[in-house]
Amino acid sequence: MTQYLVSVLTEGAVFGIMALGLNVIWGWSGDFDLAYYGYVALGAYMTLVLTIGRQPPPTKYILGLTLPYPVAIVLAVASVMVLAFVIGLIALRHLRGIYFSIVTLGAVYVLYTVAGQFVPLFNGYQGLSGLVNPMADVLGIDFNSYQYFLLGFAIAIFLLVYLFLSRVSSSRFGLALRSLREDERAAAAFGRDIYRLKLKAYVLGAAIGGLGGALFATYVTAFNTTAWTPLETIVLYAAILVGGRGNIRGVVLGVFIVIVLIEESTRFLPEIPGHPNLALDLRPVVIGLALILFLRYRPQGLLPERRYVDPVQEKAKPELAR
Amino acid sequence: MTTETPAALEVRGLSKHFGGVRAVENCSFTAPEGKVTGLIGPNGAGKSTAIDLISGFKLPDAGTVVFGGKALEGLPPHRISRLGLIRTFQTPREWRGLTVLENVVLARWDEPRETFWRGVLGLRQAHRETTVGELAEARAILEEFGLFALRNERAGNLSGGQKRLVEFARIRMAQPQLVILDEPMGGVNPVLGERMALAIEAFIATGTSVIVVEHNLPFIERVTDHVVVMSQGSVIASGPFESLRSNQAVIDAYLGEMPTYEQPGA
Repeated sequence: MTQYLVSVLTEGAVFGIMALGLNVIWGWSGDFDLAYYGYVALGAYMTLVLTIGRQPPPTKYILGLTLPYPVAIVLAVASVMVLAFVIGLIALRHLRGIYFSIVTLGAVYVLYTVAGQFVPLFNGYQGLSGLVNPMADVLGIDFNSYQYFLLGFAIAIFLLVYLFLSRVSSSRFGLALRSLREDERAAAAFGRDIYRLKLKAYVLGAAIGGLGGALFATYVTAFNTTAWTPLETIVLYAAILVGGRGNIRGVVLGVFIVIVLIEESTRFLPEIPGHPNLALDLRPVVIGLALILFLRYRPQGLLPERRYVDPVQEKAKPELAR
Repeated sequence: MTTETPAALEVRGLSKHFGGVRAVENCSFTAPEGKVTGLIGPNGAGKSTAIDLISGFKLPDAGTVVFGGKALEGLPPHRISRLGLIRTFQTPREWRGLTVLENVVLARWDEPRETFWRGVLGLRQAHRETTVGELAEARAILEEFGLFALRNERAGNLSGGQKRLVEFARIRMAQPQLVILDEPMGGVNPVLGERMALAIEAFIATGTSVIVVEHNLPFIERVTDHVVVMSQGSVIASGPFESLRSNQAVIDAYLGEMPTYEQPGA
């Protein structure tokens, strides 16, 4: 039971990081990005090819380095940022709304197909494996306690991302991003460079997604195309929507409800003889139902984005004004 | 004339075609500094397109726009705004999910304080880079527009008239050299109209020249010093409102001829 709880919490922290990154792009900047899981996947793949070294044929992939794990994560995130910059540069220039979504969906399917079909890149559909307990040797952690270390590590990264984004959220930069989401023509009329701001938010969100992917690869020790379909992004959107778009606390709550509770609770449904995968297949149905109900009855989510409440109560005194 | 006031904005030969439609055709006019210029004309005269061309939201096919000694044509909207020319839109474009106070504070653009790294590393509370003085200024402006009590309300929850006032408050906060108001009276009751007229006077008093596009002619007469009349993409007359009453071209443009319909296949 403890082991199970540890694995669920680790998974929750990793998906929490991913959802927080997507919230930067959709929750703040307002772009419904469907390429997001591609950034998660690239973060996972890059972490693997930078740490697992060469493996015997027929396994084929690029790089095959044995870099220290933290260095590999940094480089993986950097590569994700480059990819997001290129895709954002094209998709954010003129496209908005559904048109932006379609282009990003196209981009992620290109990535997905290339990762699957072009074997020398990431070993095709077979994928990569062999990232076993990184940093265990250096830190002297034995096999049995490694899962606790990984849980602590994932939670620590999650908290760092959370604190970092809570600073961004309350800054002028965060406020300017929200103004783009609300009305970008007005934002331009008041001096905001929409394209630049949106591109910055896009690369920032994707970087956090890549970081989530790196941790995901560490948690499952491997990664292949069956571990990610582009539509996984929708589950993250469901979490953000249920929790509260734009509110990072809400996003964390949404991840807990949608990904931890719904995904995990279906595991405990009694198995119906003759239908071994019924519970598993019911998950998307339950998540879809939750999405529809929230969109209909509580589109702002459980914890809506908080208003900034002016602490000054009395009326402005004239001498305060310039 | 040597006694002429300097121009806040000078538009020369501005043209824009959409397919075969000549929305703006060789449009030229001058908006004097420190004055209120009205821009009027029947529907489809090209007023809105002209504003889009001046403010960078559309690219002109030909012509020049000079503002404060700088050529504006070809610049993107945010660059034009940063130079001190701010426009409004026909419908109020408040940032709905943000509070009224945030709407006003954000109206003042300040790049160094808005960079990503400042946001992450800054040490102050809340909108930590928004200085106390700036918030106080925004509160004072809101009070002036009777919006102080609504400052913590999401702007999207306000009434149509209140949203117009928020837009005026944002302009006061931004303090541009020139503001172009696109149909500020649309959907506004007459009582609020007087308030807007006073606000326009206050813009002039604080050093902001004004161009106002409006169909409400009594309002134009009330607030403007100088009126430019557009029809079919070009300027057909300009001068004080009084002088235009007897101008035959203006009367023709506004009353016009009855359009003649040709029956298909007739």
